[in-house]
Amino acid sequence: MNVFKREMRANRKALIIWSIGLVLMIASSMGKYAGLSASGQSINDLLGQMPQSLKAVMGMGSFDLTTAMGYFGVLFIYLAMMATIHAAMLGANIISKEERDKTAEFLFLKPISRNKIITSKLLASLVNILILNLVTFVSSILMVQRYSKGEAVIGDITRLMFGMFFLQLIFLFIGTLTAAGSKHPKTAPTLAAGILLLTFMLSIGIDLNNRLENLKYFTPFKYFDAKNLIHPPGLEPAYLILSVVIIAVMVSATYIFYKNRDLNV
Amino acid sequence: MNMFLHELKAYRKSTITWTFTLVGLIILLLSMFPAISEEAETFKKLMEGFPEGIRLALGLAVENIGSILGFYSYIFLYVSLFGAIQAMILGVSILSKEVREKTADFLLTKPVTRTQIVTSKLMAAFTSLLITNVFYLGAATMMVSLVETKEYSTKIFLLLSLTLFFLQLIFLALGIIVSIAVPKIKSVLSISLGTVFAFFIIGALVSTTGDDALRYLTPFKYFDFAYIMQNSSYESSFMMVGIAFIVIAITASYLIYSKRDIHAV
Repeated sequence: MNVFKREMRANRKALIIWSIGLVLMIASSMGKYAGLSASGQSINDLLGQMPQSLKAVMGMGSFDLTTAMGYFGVLFIYLAMMATIHAAMLGANIISKEERDKTAEFLFLKPISRNKIITSKLLASLVNILILNLVTFVSSILMVQRYSKGEAVIGDITRLMFGMFFLQLIFLFIGTLTAAGSKHPKTAPTLAAGILLLTFMLSIGIDLNNRLENLKYFTPFKYFDAKNLIHPPGLEPAYLILSVVIIAVMVSATYIFYKNRDLNV
Repeated sequence: MNMFLHELKAYRKSTITWTFTLVGLIILLLSMFPAISEEAETFKKLMEGFPEGIRLALGLAVENIGSILGFYSYIFLYVSLFGAIQAMILGVSILSKEVREKTADFLLTKPVTRTQIVTSKLMAAFTSLLITNVFYLGAATMMVSLVETKEYSTKIFLLLSLTLFFLQLIFLALGIIVSIAVPKIKSVLSISLGTVFAFFIIGALVSTTGDDALRYLTPFKYFDFAYIMQNSSYESSFMMVGIAFIVIAITASYLIYSKRDIHAV
């Protein structure tokens, strides 16, 4: 319990900064929507017939930009990117920082098992990403509702944020796994960030080129694609199961690797 | 000179990794050009059935993607994102790592002035970025001449590619001033990724408004590709702001660093 509290306090400032950043981002970009919604319907007709790859290059995706929800869908990938960066960095740092800051000796001499330490740290990071997710959730609903002219948005946003939470979980545990498995504590955040950027570019590559479609299982960003979450099919069970399996594997691998780890002191 | 060589060696691996990343990225993205240029061609025909006004608004964009320089200026967004991350990480870490890795007392007790230390470190960072850019430029030039059969302006292509280097210098200066202004940096990556993505997203939002004054807010918008392609030159006002920022940031870094309290252990 003490370790948990200590970690919550240590990450409090970062969490507040990230939350403010995300809220500002949502507020400012939905503010932009007010100007955009004025343009007519016929542009939308034309956009509807534009090839997918062209729209991807221009960064529009297949959203109806004249509705508040469609506009939010374009924004979602950026929100998800911010949230996953936070999650991956949190996961990699929370495990590796003891060795980096030379506090590993102090912590591991205490009469608690390694498993207990990892559990407290994982719980603290879970609470952190959950808070960030809820902050995003509430501010999205408030902002989108302001511009949606009475359309129902809560259902769509709930699905999107649910997907974002899974993305956060996956990258949190990618972070913890790299920290538990890597030889030097310094390399863990770099490796986690590398994986994050690689999968992100892959999801953009898939948008650009249909022939890469089969690679979509390699990038979590495609499991929870905003356009699938807003329109049918919604949350696909296949991807949910895949995510749960990935998360379970990475959590257990984190425990196993860390238990047998030779700590750099 | 010793410090310069030591830093260059310390950053050898990261320079090589980033160079490969950028080269791989541009090869991947440019290899999609032939397919997309065909799709743009078909779409242009389809557009003829739509009213004149819309055709003008969207036509320009489609016309652009169909040509190699237009396509290049769209995908360059992702290249510049990666380049900015590289430069920011380099800037934030190069001075702060001595304190973080507890080597500051070793370095600062050597018979060299602090000004000399900053200079050698700056030169090393500059060289590392220069190497990356040379290889990037070579790869990009080769790829472009491979995928494009028609004539294109080499001068504009060079101007577009060189914006990567300028952008990196701006982020390098930003990283250095941040690393000196923030008292204690524990995780370089969190700060760098957070800052770069914040600017990147501001850039994405600014481009939806088309307001010129807002473009001063983010280095990603200092170079307007449409302007470069039309006039084959940079916009002088933004160029001045960029250079002024670099000069001020570097001078301030020298001044602050030479007087700063540096904790030995």
